Amino acid sequence: MIVDREETGMTEQEIQEKGYANPDALVSTQWVQENLDDAANIRIVESDEDVLLYDIGHIPNAVKVDWVEDLNDPLTRDYVDPDHFASLMSEKGISPETTVIFYGDKNNWWATYALWVFRLFGHDKVKVMDGGRIKWESEGREMTQEVPSFPTAEYPVPTRDDSKIRAFRDDVMAHLKKVREGEGGLIDVRSPGEYRGELLHMPDYPQEGALRGGHIPGAKNVPWARAAREDGTFKSAQELREIYEGEAGLKPDGDTIAYCRIGERSSHTWFVLSYLLGYDNVRNYDGSWTEWGNVVRAPIER
Amino acid sequence: LEGAKPALREGRIALLVEHVNNPRHRGVLRDADVVMPGGSPECGGSVVVYLKGDGNGKVEGLSWRGEGDTISMGATSIAMERIVEGHLTMEEVLRIDYDEFVQELGKDLIGSRTRNATLGLSTIKAAIRQYSKGKLANTAEPTPA
Repeated sequence: MIVDREETGMTEQEIQEKGYANPDALVSTQWVQENLDDAANIRIVESDEDVLLYDIGHIPNAVKVDWVEDLNDPLTRDYVDPDHFASLMSEKGISPETTVIFYGDKNNWWATYALWVFRLFGHDKVKVMDGGRIKWESEGREMTQEVPSFPTAEYPVPTRDDSKIRAFRDDVMAHLKKVREGEGGLIDVRSPGEYRGELLHMPDYPQEGALRGGHIPGAKNVPWARAAREDGTFKSAQELREIYEGEAGLKPDGDTIAYCRIGERSSHTWFVLSYLLGYDNVRNYDGSWTEWGNVVRAPIER
Repeated sequence: LEGAKPALREGRIALLVEHVNNPRHRGVLRDADVVMPGGSPECGGSVVVYLKGDGNGKVEGLSWRGEGDTISMGATSIAMERIVEGHLTMEEVLRIDYDEFVQELGKDLIGSRTRNATLGLSTIKAAIRQYSKGKLANTAEPTPA
């Protein structure tokens, strides 16, 4: 099938027209197509839930960053330390000046998770390919199994700053008062069944499960994927505002915390709120339900 | 030997992908004695296993349905094929070692995702244990995400 990319592929202008606070946080599939050979300045990073997709086929010149093997500390429940991050960057040929373009499966769910972790280490030159892997594939663009090799880059060991975009359990506990008083936003981005605490009763639930089901008191439920259209691209700013401000009552200048089960789905919502809608103060609580639902005496609502 | 490993890796990926594209024994078993859900619908994958026993420790019918990533869906189909085509008894299924199963799929592919790789097998085992307990016809379906 021949696809006329000039007409069917989303362009930068179409991203502009969606009215985001930071339209530069997104690039189109067409832009990636035109820039994928610019290895000196950009690195395309695929990050998926389905870890074998990269091997099956990926965008030419894209490297893989696996959230489990590359970004999680293998022992402590935390992300890798700055030394590991620097070596990972070096190995992928990424320097602090490299603009990293993330894309992945499931509406860029894991792409935004990887992006959020990069931001913890102060790598701020980050963008997402709007529409992710599914859009690239559906437009019939080239995929390859060839793993590119780039010269190793100098990446000084960074300082990780968790305070601005990451919330810990105690931060959430302290945040509950603000939520009660209407001054803080709390958003649960899991499925309605998980929010209502119904899904924990499944037999043989994975070990990542929690002992108790429900949600953090005061949290509003907006499943993360509502931010995406069927073609995998993000909804327009106006559509997003109707959901997050109209329905969930979040305030652009407020203090917002997002969570899910282990913090990956909520990184997608974090990206939407902070980049696309321009909220100043959004944190991702990556401990999420697998921590909260196991904490003795942590308050729960159903 | 240096060159052999990537080829093996590609072969193992191809096997999983082939099972994803042509899943074995997929479907609902209408007269199942046990309907066993497993996994997490939004993370990694979820399956429902349908088991019918013959009352003498043999598997009379076994099928599944589910959604998830290449590892979890491919490995479920591979486990199904092995059990059904190999005419394994319930006792033999319970004795399948998870580590060995992951080794055969390819430890280099699976890495830390052992839960995805054993989702189908562990749910089949759970169905057999449920059957053995004599709690028949557990018709509870998982809540859709």
